[in-house]
Parts: sequence; structure tokens; C-alpha cells
Amino acid sequence: MTTAAGPVTLTLPPVATMVRVGRLTASSIASLADMSIDDIDDIKIAVSEMITLLIQSGSRATITLRFETTDEQFTVEASTPSGASDLGRNDLALATAVLEAVADEHQIASTADRILLRIVKHLVPQSSSIATV
Amino acid sequence: MEEIGKNESIRVLLDPDGVVVAEGDIDLAGGPLLDTAIVRVEGPNPVVIDLAAVEFIDSSGLRSLLAASRRAESRNTHVVLRKPSTGVMRLLSITGTTEQFTVQDAPTEAGGGVDPR
Repeated sequence: MTTAAGPVTLTLPPVATMVRVGRLTASSIASLADMSIDDIDDIKIAVSEMITLLIQSGSRATITLRFETTDEQFTVEASTPSGASDLGRNDLALATAVLEAVADEHQIASTADRILLRIVKHLVPQSSSIATV
Repeated sequence: MEEIGKNESIRVLLDPDGVVVAEGDIDLAGGPLLDTAIVRVEGPNPVVIDLAAVEFIDSSGLRSLLAASRRAESRNTHVVLRKPSTGVMRLLSITGTTEQFTVQDAPTEAGGGVDPR
């Protein structure tokens, strides 16, 4: 069962200490989706990578995180206005390797005015509570 | 133990044997404090970093450890990661960087190939 009351949006100032705030918020929301401990750990890592990338690559403007849970998946979108230092000039290799490992899907997109990151974690039922006769 | 510094993410200490002890999260906020402590103990001997109380690490934190490893290699020595959590070992595995370090007292489920001292 998921608690799909609707998307949750969080805005953060682009400072390093806010990475932890975003990570812990993501953990709380993911726990409402009946995710396993391992999957919640994956979400924490993914969100940490996303916020870090946006702080390092954006225009030092507000970072917006959007969390959405459906019966099938948990989605996190993170975005910020583009800055002088685009994503290509950062060391993306480590962060991309991590996102590939912890998320079922991930996208990194950069336009002239915005950087958008998106990850999806597929939800797997945690117990066989569906036992109809 | 001497406290090198702390912030919302991490507390970094230096024990009497010169071991860097990290407590908390090694992320974008925690990494720079860890860097400060590591640089302070760098010399001809291996840099030992106790990670027993590290609850979280991401790739920005890993960059601090990798930079220390590269500097150690240039001094013909190495970095020892002591008591890393399963989370730390998983990140090393994901990023293919385990071999950059000597790992002591890893969690048993992390598998072999590490120094059991």
C-alpha cells in the first residue's frame, strides 16, 4: 500500500548543509511508500547526488524538489535555474555511476534556462498481503 | 581526542595515534572538514580514517577520500579505511573505487579482498 496523498514539493537554498535536509525529507516520504530499508537508502543516496549536482552546477538559485508516489513507482524531480557552470563541466562520472546503481531510471537534462534531474524507483510489494480466495 | 571541526553533517576528530575519526555524514558539507583533518596527518605513513561512526556517504564525500588516496600514492603510501559501514562499502563498489584503498575491519557481508587487520 502506498500513501499517495499527492506530490510533495520542497524548495531549498543552494547551500551544502541543505543536502542533508533534502536527503532526510526524501527518506521520510519514501518510508510512507512502504519501501524497504535498502530502497530508502538508495533514495537518500540519489537525492543527495541530485542536490549536490544542482548546487555545483546551477546559478546559485533555489533548488526545487518534487516527490511523487504512485502504486508503481517513487519519483523525484530536482531542478534549478541553469548557471554559468553547466553540468558538462563538472565531474559527472561518479554521480552518474551512483544514480545508475541506486535508481531504476534516471535522467539528467540541461536547457538554456534550467537543469532538471529525475530519478524513478519502482515499488515492490513488501509483503504478500494480497491473498484473495 | 582532538576535535578538528564539526558542522551539521559531520564531526571530525584526531585520535592520539593520528587516526582521523569521522562521525556522521560525509557529503558536500562534511567533505571539506574531513579534507582538513586528512591533510593535517599526511606524511610518509599511511593515512588511517576510522569510518565506524559514518552513517552516510555520497560521491562528493567519496571525492575527498579519493583525493587523499591520490595524494598518498604520490608519497608512496596509501589510505586505510577502518571499519567502513555497509553503506560506505556499497558506494566504493558502485563506483569501482574499492581498490584505491586498504580496507580494515569491513562488514562481513562486504565480502573478501580486504585487509582483516
